[in-house]
Amino acid sequence: MAKRENNLNLQTGSLVTRFFIGVFVAFMAVFILGPLIWLALQAFSTTWTFPNLKPDGWTLVWWKRVFETPSMVEAIRNSFITAPIVVLVSAVICLPAAYAAARYNYLGRRVFLIGMFAANSFPKLGLFASIATLFYTLNLMGTMVGVIIIQLLGTIIYMTWIPAAAFAAVPKNLEEAARDAGASKFRVFRGITLRLAAPGILVAMVMSFISAFDEAQGTYLVGSPEIFTMPTEMYSLVLTYPVQIAAVFSILLAVPSVILIGLARKHIIGGQLAEGFQIK
Amino acid sequence: MSNATHGLELIGLTKILGGRVIIDNLNLTVEKGEMVSLLGPSGCGKTTTLRMIAGFLIPEKGTVNVAGKDVTNLGPEKRPSAMVFQNYALWPHMTVFKNVAYPLKIRKMGKAEIEKRVHEVLEVVNLMHHKDSRPGQISGGEQQRVALARALVQEPDILLLDEPLSNLDAKLRVKVREDIRDLQRRLGITTVIVTHDQDEALSISDRIAVMNEGRIEQFSTPQDLYDQPATEYVANFIGSLNRIEGGYADGQVIPGNEVVGIRPEDVSFSKSQVAGSYPATVELVVPRGHFHEVYLKRADASLRAFVSIDVPKAGDIGFAKVSKALVYKDGKLVRTA
Amino acid sequence: MTTTNTVATKEGFAEVKAAKLSTLGFFMALPPVLVVILFVGLPIFVAFIFSIGYTGGPNRVISIIGQDIYKKDSWWGTADAYLAVVKDPRFLPDFALTMVVTFVSTLVVLTMAMGMGLYQRIKGGKVASVLSMLSLVPLFVPVVIAAYAIAQFYNGVGFMRTFMAQFGIEFPVITATRNAIIIGTIWTSLPFAILMITSGLQSVPNALIETAQDAGASFMRIVRTILIPLAFVPIVIAGTFTAIGIMGSFTVPLFLGPNQPTMLGVEISNFFTAYNRPQQSIVMAFIIFAAASGIAVLYIWANIRSAKQSGRI
Ligand SMILES: Nc1ncnc2c1ncn2[C@@H]1O[C@H](COP(=O)(O)OP(=O)(O)OP(=O)(O)O)[C@@H](O)[C@H]1O
Ligand SMILES: [Mg+2]
Repeated sequence: MAKRENNLNLQTGSLVTRFFIGVFVAFMAVFILGPLIWLALQAFSTTWTFPNLKPDGWTLVWWKRVFETPSMVEAIRNSFITAPIVVLVSAVICLPAAYAAARYNYLGRRVFLIGMFAANSFPKLGLFASIATLFYTLNLMGTMVGVIIIQLLGTIIYMTWIPAAAFAAVPKNLEEAARDAGASKFRVFRGITLRLAAPGILVAMVMSFISAFDEAQGTYLVGSPEIFTMPTEMYSLVLTYPVQIAAVFSILLAVPSVILIGLARKHIIGGQLAEGFQIK
Repeated sequence: MSNATHGLELIGLTKILGGRVIIDNLNLTVEKGEMVSLLGPSGCGKTTTLRMIAGFLIPEKGTVNVAGKDVTNLGPEKRPSAMVFQNYALWPHMTVFKNVAYPLKIRKMGKAEIEKRVHEVLEVVNLMHHKDSRPGQISGGEQQRVALARALVQEPDILLLDEPLSNLDAKLRVKVREDIRDLQRRLGITTVIVTHDQDEALSISDRIAVMNEGRIEQFSTPQDLYDQPATEYVANFIGSLNRIEGGYADGQVIPGNEVVGIRPEDVSFSKSQVAGSYPATVELVVPRGHFHEVYLKRADASLRAFVSIDVPKAGDIGFAKVSKALVYKDGKLVRTA
Repeated sequence: MTTTNTVATKEGFAEVKAAKLSTLGFFMALPPVLVVILFVGLPIFVAFIFSIGYTGGPNRVISIIGQDIYKKDSWWGTADAYLAVVKDPRFLPDFALTMVVTFVSTLVVLTMAMGMGLYQRIKGGKVASVLSMLSLVPLFVPVVIAAYAIAQFYNGVGFMRTFMAQFGIEFPVITATRNAIIIGTIWTSLPFAILMITSGLQSVPNALIETAQDAGASFMRIVRTILIPLAFVPIVIAGTFTAIGIMGSFTVPLFLGPNQPTMLGVEISNFFTAYNRPQQSIVMAFIIFAAASGIAVLYIWANIRSAKQSGRI
């Protein structure tokens, strides 16, 4: 397919517009990256006297402090236990449903899809408070299971809608051609459908992992004071520790996201994510 | 200053895309009210040329004059041209009426005036009954006519059509192309139409520009292109050709270092010998609808002939005569015989 | 590739909607629905009856722990908890702040996303892709970090003040103000809106823009009459998701906002844990929900409108 090399010939190239675009790009760079870079620098600085542009000195001592503080190590461990479990559970629960939404018509199909959305429009904190009420009764407050359930909820919308769009984009005649060539139903699913939908599923898993890994509000409400993950540890961290510690912790917390995004970047920008959010 | 009587003048147009010269020093003059086809194989630069006329692309070199005015550096919104795209490009969120009214609204015309003009042009393309339909609800042929109406309503100095018929089925194509031709004649509007269908070009154009790799090989009337194809490329592209390497004398192919082109229509077969005919055997006869394609073997060459009356059978022996041949040297026509 | 994907998807879904009902499909679709019913629908329902005074059954434990619990006093319940919340002096300022932040941030986010989407659609090229990569960064930064980093950036010893001090300019401390919340919510909401709107604008074919241009339309007119109407659904989705997300936000106002008034998301948490008044906390959640539902209606209306337009209904 011819890509869009044919740029539109709209007259927007004047010097003034170029100047404004330049200013805008610079503004965006400072607006978006500024805070992250500023915080990251703190993780390596001894102290920082206002209004110097540079810290008073460079050090790695804060990193050592973090790895020597048991509560923080515990939080890191918890995060890396819960998030993968959540992604797996979510995939098992949601992927068949995504496939069904793309390939079958069933009773209440549209209601299901819209219901998912409606659930999303209840304020997160209100929902967590409501769930907490229920969890008291079910004895799930302060338990790992409770935390996993909470984090799972945020992943469902990604894990159903994005793969559903990906499955639907697999041309039916490709599957039929494979069936025709004598492949079994399962083989066709594994070899054709799953392979072609893989980018969508990958994006869904990445988004789910990040969603679970970053979930703070619900985990805090349900998990604390027994279970802390990295984001909820941040809540108490910022109150009781120097900014450098929080900075180190922030970098650690951002690492998985950065790695995963690197993996799935192409597909996320390629429209798999946006495609998933339109009710069909 | 260019001559105001020309509908369109392209002078030395050159366009580079993706680091490649796509259009190479192209010249073309179209008279007012004339209908001209750009004909050529896929990728030869027809669309690129048309888009430069419309203003969607700016040439690296050269000048575009429309109705005597230099528009080379104007954006499409400022040019007195209207283009119909291959897939019609109707706005799906507007009704047929609104699609056609859009250009007039931009010209800040009054409501009553807009309505009058849109109705007029919808009458012309015979679509009044669909004026409140949306593009998604009407057929391909009807969409095509809406696109045409939207172009015509602008009363452009030049109408540009990029393969306007390629999305229609064969029957509709013939009808719509006649409609377009008819309308173009009636309105007297200068028109450039892109096509890679030689039938289409031959039947509706006043003149045809045959393009090859970003250049115009020949620009002439359909009859002329057929009778006097200036290059071997054009001869091959327009109509069919028996192509034989050698020379030509006395109605026969002789050894030589030229290329002889003989139209199958110019080969006749008969049972009895006439002046200029030579013995031939019929090898194969293929029915082609209203004529038959007859493969003949002569001592000097194998020839295809188009025959519609007194069709021979395979194995028949008789005489074949070549009434006209085109002789090319280095791809250029050197003589006809 | 995006466009082909879209087409294939739309056809795929359209085909499915015409197919006959499948039992297998129903059961495959069931698990996530059950999870949502069990852990979203049910808690919300239980919470709702709690908010109107049903304190028995699943609400028994919380009713014992919590303070200021209003019990039902008529056959349907009681509105006392709602009245108590509305009458609370903290509520009105909180509510107003929530609405203002939601409105302003959504507006700014949509404007920025439209600007970037249009730029990318029309110009393309390196600058556009750098810009879009840049604006996607927040998608992958946990809210907690983002909020904290922004707080550090704009606080008394933050970068903005440090930088400006080099030129002898006293930059204001923004942290703990309404504006800081707005900055934070814009920062966190930008990527999703940009993704949605960019992909919506990209799926408008070139020819549709070029014909308008050919007809003489100016840039702004093409945006207004062609691009926005054709990308309407993604734009509305971007708007509703952004607004709903901001309305219920918690971490950003917690880290960046003032103590009083604060956004309702924070207040829900305060009432639930700090003040131990769970019923009123729930009531606030329902007030936000009501507002969010109003916005959600927009989303559904946009979807239906687009279906009508393309002749699907
Ligand atoms: N933006 C571009 N960048 C690079 N090459 C281009 C671009 N646009 C067109 N081309 C190339 O220019 C050549 C001519 O393209 P053009 O679209 O004018 O052909 P055409 O004669 O209209 O063919 P068709 O009959 O297939 O429509 C082709 O080889 C094409 O690949
Ligand atoms: Mg073309």
